[in-house]
Amino acid sequence: MTERTAKWIFWVGTLSSLVLFLALTFDTHGQFAALTNADKLDEQVVAGKRAFERHNCNDCHTILGFGGYYAPDLTRVWTRLGEDSIKRRLRSPEVAFADSYRKMPQQNLSAQEIDDITGYLEWVSAIENNDWPPQHSERRWKRSTERLMAGAVLSPGAALVNQEDCLSCHALGERGERKGPRLEWIAARRDARWIADYLVDPQAVAPGSEMPASDHLSVEQRQMIGEFIASLDRRGGGDS
Amino acid sequence: MIYRTQSVAYPYFVVALLLFVLQVLMGLWLGINYFATIPQEIVDAFPFSTARAMHTNLLVLWMLLGFMGATFYLVPEETGSELAWPKMAIAQLVILTVTGVVALVGFLFGWTQGRPLLEIPRPLDVVVVIGALMFLANVGVTIIRAKRWTATQGSLLAGLVFLAVMYLFGIPFYENISVDWYYWWWVIHLWVEGAWELIAAAITAFMLIKLTGVDRRVVEKWLYVELGLFLFTGIAGTGHHYYWLGTPRYWLWVGGIFSALEPLPILLMVVDTWRDVRDRTTRLEPRLTWVYMFGMVILHFVGAGLFGFAHTLPAINYYTHGSQVTVSHGHLAFYGAYALLNLTFFYFAIPRLKGMPDHAYDERTGHWGFWLMSLGVLGLSLAFAVAGVLQTYLERVQGQPYIVSQEPIRLWMLIAFLHGLVVLAGVVVTVRHLLTLKPAAAQHG
Ligand code: HEC
Ligand code: HEC
Ligand code: HEM
Ligand code: HEM
Ligand SMILES: [Fe+2]
Repeated sequence: MTERTAKWIFWVGTLSSLVLFLALTFDTHGQFAALTNADKLDEQVVAGKRAFERHNCNDCHTILGFGGYYAPDLTRVWTRLGEDSIKRRLRSPEVAFADSYRKMPQQNLSAQEIDDITGYLEWVSAIENNDWPPQHSERRWKRSTERLMAGAVLSPGAALVNQEDCLSCHALGERGERKGPRLEWIAARRDARWIADYLVDPQAVAPGSEMPASDHLSVEQRQMIGEFIASLDRRGGGDS
Repeated sequence: MIYRTQSVAYPYFVVALLLFVLQVLMGLWLGINYFATIPQEIVDAFPFSTARAMHTNLLVLWMLLGFMGATFYLVPEETGSELAWPKMAIAQLVILTVTGVVALVGFLFGWTQGRPLLEIPRPLDVVVVIGALMFLANVGVTIIRAKRWTATQGSLLAGLVFLAVMYLFGIPFYENISVDWYYWWWVIHLWVEGAWELIAAAITAFMLIKLTGVDRRVVEKWLYVELGLFLFTGIAGTGHHYYWLGTPRYWLWVGGIFSALEPLPILLMVVDTWRDVRDRTTRLEPRLTWVYMFGMVILHFVGAGLFGFAHTLPAINYYTHGSQVTVSHGHLAFYGAYALLNLTFFYFAIPRLKGMPDHAYDERTGHWGFWLMSLGVLGLSLAFAVAGVLQTYLERVQGQPYIVSQEPIRLWMLIAFLHGLVVLAGVVVTVRHLLTLKPAAAQHG
């Protein structure tokens, strides 16, 4: 190879890659608004992002997969846990994670900061990012729930969940609200027995949460609810 | 040392080495956080997040100071002239070191920009920019005054300007998190897979010319090819970080294809080094300098090229993204490419700065340092890799909640920590050896 060829490789290589990269950067900017729902990016979201940075949350938690790997990814935490669960964890992490082997610091966030951060996490959770992370793919949850609902005659547990108005706080498939955890998510950690016990007095496990006690239900009824929620677990099965 | 002003490089090396020790100590504390349960009171006072900011910023700071020292050593020889403003070079070191220390202490009190790797608060960024401008002015004016242009110093200067310009993209506050990460990678990726590679290629070429006696024209011809390939694959290769952050789908293709080619220029560096050594007109001495040189090109290729390639295709990255797999690659790549680059240069330059006869030095304990460090980091990275594969399977494929999937991983973080102790031992031996380097003992018998 001559020095001329070498220089030629340098300039052509560098410039072609640079031109491509800048052109795609320009095009990507045109698409950010739609992919990130920029119309919903209001003052609260921005304030939430500032608070998130002020407290350096990102050096323990990843968000969109970037940051420290010490704590759960927060990209879809709003979808998974819902508003009230997030706020309780931000308000008193020392209580929420008292039994955990890994702690989150009590940073004495103001009520305003907690609202802002939660709003920020809600906005982030809707970013169209090719459905990452895989374990929190809502599309898959919805699909497996649909299949479950279609395949079986509605179980008594499902009927109770409807009747007791759990979906005024919890999401299930396409339905429900986002105050507490998505029901499909719960059984990844909890079994039917645990859920049945939890319903008697949620405050005992999650002090300060908004979840009302269901102590009017019989042991059998609570067990049925527990079994229904446990059956929603989509782990291991992937898509199917 | 041929020019008097080259000696400003030495204090840069000293500060860099001391910060390196601190960086590794912080790394060990991070490791403890992973396998032990830290009581709430300690977590409140000194959380993982703060320690991580210190670990990574110390890393960047010591490496940049090392590069700057190397530049101050190299430019006078390449231009054949004294450095324009040696006193300003020392002032710049003081400014940057003080800024670094203020930033580290600030982290302890929660003063932070709060973005990973770019935690240095914005007011301090301004000081960093001033320091960078002093540096570039000093080097630029030296080159312009001397009117002697070589491809080696040209690529070095290009890399340094590229590095400084990219830093600017990390300073603003971005309202939209997707846009934020988009430009965050202009700093992080375009540094380690762009600007820093230019610097590495240039510094390596310089050392090879001096150490092997191979004709400069041959070395510099291949340098052009290396740089062309680095930039061709590296610039568009930035796309391998754009898969999952809210960008159009074409990045899966562009990022995947270009970044998959990124190992090629690194492989070329290995081949070039090997060829120059084969065609050398000198003896391979001192041995330790060569151990470092080969260690660097090989671990650069393994850590960045192989470990990087392993998770760069979208179909794999979908599962490994943001897991301990990333940490594994980050450690081996940074160590192999840039920690060893700096240390190799220190072993090259310090005997010359101290005017040792034949540039020979007493190398015995230095070998221990190299092997302890390198095997330690290799073990550390492999332990992270096992943790990462486990995490990928348990959390991403099986769908276990994060905190459940982390339980079995704690054992592997303990194993990583134990290797970290070996790394620390190696680093202490190496730093001590470099700071007290002595001329080779006279031959006995
Ligand atoms: C020192 C590291 C650290 C810092 C800093 C930190 N967290 Fe956490 N966080 C954790 C850990 C560890 C957990 C998980 C504990 C568990 O599940 O047992 C957690 C859990 C959470 C959860 C629940 C996630 C889930 O999927 O269950 C949310 C939400 C959260 N943190 C938000 C924040 C926010 C917002 C900030 C910044 C104000 C923050 N964290 C700062 C360590 C940290
Ligand atoms: C007023 C809102 C509200 C209603 C109504 C409600 N929940 Fe909840 N639920 C929550 C919140 C909030 C949490 C999260 C508590 C926390 O950990 O912070 C929760 C948590 C749970 C959990 C525990 C999840 C876990 O893994 O820790 C279960 C199980 C549960 N709810 C089931 C139900 C069922 C069944 C019903 C109907 C009988 C119901 N909830 C009704 C708000 C509600
Ligand atoms: C004693 C040895 C070391 C230990 C135990 C250690 C441990 C760690 C840990 C636990 C993290 C945090 C990862 C996370 O967020 O979960 C980290 C981050 C990091 N460390 Fe180290 N480290 C050590 C030495 C080093 C060395 C020698 C280098 C480079 C030469 C290095 C470079 C980095 C980098 C680049 C990151 C950021 C990684 C990322 O964002 O993926 N570390 N280290
Ligand atoms: C010396 C050169 C390199 C260094 C120092 C380096 C270092 C790093 C670091 C520290 C990270 C983690 C950043 C973060 O998220 O905090 C990272 C991520 C990554 N690197 Fe490298 N890298 C190098 C070269 C390469 C090469 C050549 C490739 C591909 C062939 C590559 C592929 C990747 C990929 C795919 C990721 C993203 C991981 C994820 O999705 O979480 N790297 N690199
Ligand atoms: Fe990269």
